[in-house]
Amino acid sequence: MSRAMSSAFFAGFRFEARMMRRDGAIWFALLTLAGVALFALAMGSARVSAQQAAIAAARADEMQRIANLQKTLGQLQEGDAQGKPAPEPPPFRDPRNPTFMGGGPAAAVAALAPAPLALVAIGQSDLLPPAVRVTTNSKDSFLFADEIDNPANLMSGATDLAFVIVFVYPLVILAFVFNLLAGEREQGTLAMTLASARRPGAALAGKLAARVSAPIIAMLLAVTVGVWIFAGWERLASPGFAALLVLVLLYGLFWAALAAAIDGLGRSSAFNALTLIGAWVAITMILPAAINSLAAFAHPAPSRIDMVLAARAASTDADKARDASLARYADEHGGGKPAGGSQEMTLRRLATQEAAFQRVEAIVAEHDAQLARQRGLSDRLGYLSPAYLTFQAMADIAGSGETRYRAFLDRIRAFHVDWREFFLSRAKAGAALTAEDYAALPKFTQADEELSAWAPVGLAGPLIGVALPALILAVFAWRGFRRCGI
Amino acid sequence: MSDLALAPIAATASAKSHWRVMRAVAAKEWLELARDRRLVALCALIVALMLGALAFGYAENARILRERDAATKADRELWVGQSAKNPHAAAHFGQYAFKPLSPLALADPGVDAYVGSAVWLEAHKQNETQFKQARDGGVGARLGSLSLAFILQTIAPLIVILMGFASFSGERESGALKQLLSVGARPRDILAGKALALIGAIFALLAPAFIGAALALFFFVDRERLSLADQFIRLCALGAGYAIYLAGFAFLALGVSALAKNSRAALVTLLAFWLANSFLAPRLATDAARAFAPTPTWLEFRAGVIQDKSKTFGHDESHPGFIAFRDETLKKYGVTRIEDLPVNFRGLALRKDDEAGYAIFDRHFGLLQSAFDRQDALRAAPGFLFPLLALRPISMAFAGVDSRSQFDFATAAEAHRRDIQNQVSDNIIHFAHDNHYVAGPELWRKIGSFAYQAPGAIFAFAHSALPIAALLGWLVIAVVFAAFAARRLRPV
Repeated sequence: MSRAMSSAFFAGFRFEARMMRRDGAIWFALLTLAGVALFALAMGSARVSAQQAAIAAARADEMQRIANLQKTLGQLQEGDAQGKPAPEPPPFRDPRNPTFMGGGPAAAVAALAPAPLALVAIGQSDLLPPAVRVTTNSKDSFLFADEIDNPANLMSGATDLAFVIVFVYPLVILAFVFNLLAGEREQGTLAMTLASARRPGAALAGKLAARVSAPIIAMLLAVTVGVWIFAGWERLASPGFAALLVLVLLYGLFWAALAAAIDGLGRSSAFNALTLIGAWVAITMILPAAINSLAAFAHPAPSRIDMVLAARAASTDADKARDASLARYADEHGGGKPAGGSQEMTLRRLATQEAAFQRVEAIVAEHDAQLARQRGLSDRLGYLSPAYLTFQAMADIAGSGETRYRAFLDRIRAFHVDWREFFLSRAKAGAALTAEDYAALPKFTQADEELSAWAPVGLAGPLIGVALPALILAVFAWRGFRRCGI
Repeated sequence: MSDLALAPIAATASAKSHWRVMRAVAAKEWLELARDRRLVALCALIVALMLGALAFGYAENARILRERDAATKADRELWVGQSAKNPHAAAHFGQYAFKPLSPLALADPGVDAYVGSAVWLEAHKQNETQFKQARDGGVGARLGSLSLAFILQTIAPLIVILMGFASFSGERESGALKQLLSVGARPRDILAGKALALIGAIFALLAPAFIGAALALFFFVDRERLSLADQFIRLCALGAGYAIYLAGFAFLALGVSALAKNSRAALVTLLAFWLANSFLAPRLATDAARAFAPTPTWLEFRAGVIQDKSKTFGHDESHPGFIAFRDETLKKYGVTRIEDLPVNFRGLALRKDDEAGYAIFDRHFGLLQSAFDRQDALRAAPGFLFPLLALRPISMAFAGVDSRSQFDFATAAEAHRRDIQNQVSDNIIHFAHDNHYVAGPELWRKIGSFAYQAPGAIFAFAHSALPIAALLGWLVIAVVFAAFAARRLRPV
């Protein structure tokens, strides 16, 4: 930038900044924007606390259940040792019974603690429970448990920073920029502005920069202060926070470039206002809705009911297979009955569980593949709407998006296998659970990186998806501003 | 030349003269709206979007309906295909109840994606519905999908605002208003004429959606299961609700336009209101509802149920309740041993325990639904100021996709569960002579599958009194505001 050019740019910037400082409406808009962002972060912080409390309650419940089982086991063993055996509990309450204990009473809590920046976006965290009770049964019996919430609440959505950034922030930017040229032209001051600068284009760019930077800086400041107050200063040094600031900046620049490009067409303020409102409605509302509908139409979400029916079919088949095997045994052994009673009940239960587990695993994998196709399509179509990309990216930064939850599910899958192995190996061997077994129960622990150093991955695509149209629109805006007529 | 231009109107003009003014103003407004190519193109786009949304809704509903029908048949086959076993073991295997789709969900999917579609009806336990579709939709899906309700609730008011924001202010800026008032036209007649034109435009916008929805209903409704007349009553109620909602926006736009300094100020004010109504109010009202009428967590809810259930005996034969019931039964039949009873005691105990459980579930699930109702009422209460808060529950109620309809389904499913338990226990009571008793396919076939009859439109009316009052309040406030603004109409 030449010296004359930079001086014209800064002169324009200073002039516009001075004008804006004296405009009460500008201050009102900026303070309202910052206030709404801070309010959204406060709401996010309250939600994170509620999630942490839910996880703590689930863990306390788990500890209590295990402690009760250990106590009952101790009483039973003590009675046996003293030669005064306690009354035999039913198998489903017997802490020595691995088949029943692993299937419910001793269930392990697998929890996904909120990520460090969870307060910025609710994402899917209101739909996907933060704590799951893993049992030896097939996944359909525990993975789809829901936290209680009024469905109308879930449908309305909650106030979070992602909502403020995606919907409210662009409107303030549009209000600041939409009539920079048109407004001056209609007031008759454009000619004076152009005539008073040696480099009119640079002067106008300076004025535009002043208008654009005010809401963007206000939002960046509000986000920084809000995260500092509600999540702690250490979060400000995280890679996720840096990604958040870059995203807020790029998304703001996209809308500023769009407004400047429309203003650069040289039409009236009314035309600019209506066109930009139309663009805002299309980009933030219609396109995301259309993308979701198209993806759902092209790759419909699989019916989870199929999974349940398959598990049920597997258990009835296993039941029948067990009956047939018992009948064969009776034939081959002259009508003699095989081991009956509780051992037969255990074996039958193990057989049905195993059959259901195998079928459900296959169906879940099939469903996941279908959902991945649906999400793949919506992710690709998402590049049509920077609002869609920003919303998803914010959920990923918050750790309330699909990436982190999918990683959590993968870890549950591995833990489920360990959990089943622990109980079912003992059940198949006919071994009773001991105090040592209870002390050595597999524990689901959250990986350290998920707790403290959650670094969102895969944000490059969305950031480029927002930056690229911003750049193209900026080029159009630049051409429009250079050619602007009086 | 219009009637208006023929002669100034006398101060004591007849009602017919006022009607002529209204008609002339309405005709002029219509002409202007029709000549505005951008507006016509926008309306055409919205109509296309609405019809597209209906087509998506139709296809999606047809798919879900097929899936649930197939699932119902498959579950029936599994139930009747059980091997011979103790009837109580069959009750533990249970049945699944699948929620039938409301035909009008094609226009407003409501909370359907946020409630489960299936309930497991098993012994001893009332379960919540499972498998929320929204869980599978991903984060982006929270930005909504294209539905007729979405377009009419959020985009249509914007169109009405764009049609009406310059009605008075534009004419004031061009000088036409001064001329109009100078010929003696009363502001209220001008307001009525403009309102007539805008409301006409709203009807023109709604008509294709309404006709499309009516046609879709005609082809979609399974007349063996549902009454077509009831569905059309629901559709008419929906049409009326949306017409009131949009008419309120028309009067608001006219009032703001009459009071505003200029068209720009009118547009900014109306857009700010639209933003608050469409985006801020639903979220803030939901946050407030959560804060003022909290619901228990799943763990708290289940802990409450378990605590109450611990007072019943279940399968625990050492429970004091079991011993008391056994002694009471023996006394009733005048015997001293269970083996001497003329009926099976285990069956009696199961029935007794189930009956105790029913009261517990009724209380806990009833309390939970009451908390939901309180939240819904809190959300709808400011609906007279932010009409989306009133319209949304009305729309969902008449489309049969609100949380009350869900509760009705869950209650019916629970009634079926209880029927299964009662039949199974009765069978054990009368036919089981020892603990090795097994029943066969005749019993499984005798116990029917769940058949849900959704309640009629009157159910939706009965549970929508507050939002209906709020929506009517919104229209009254908007009309009064527009009349007030017209009285203060400035020609320049």
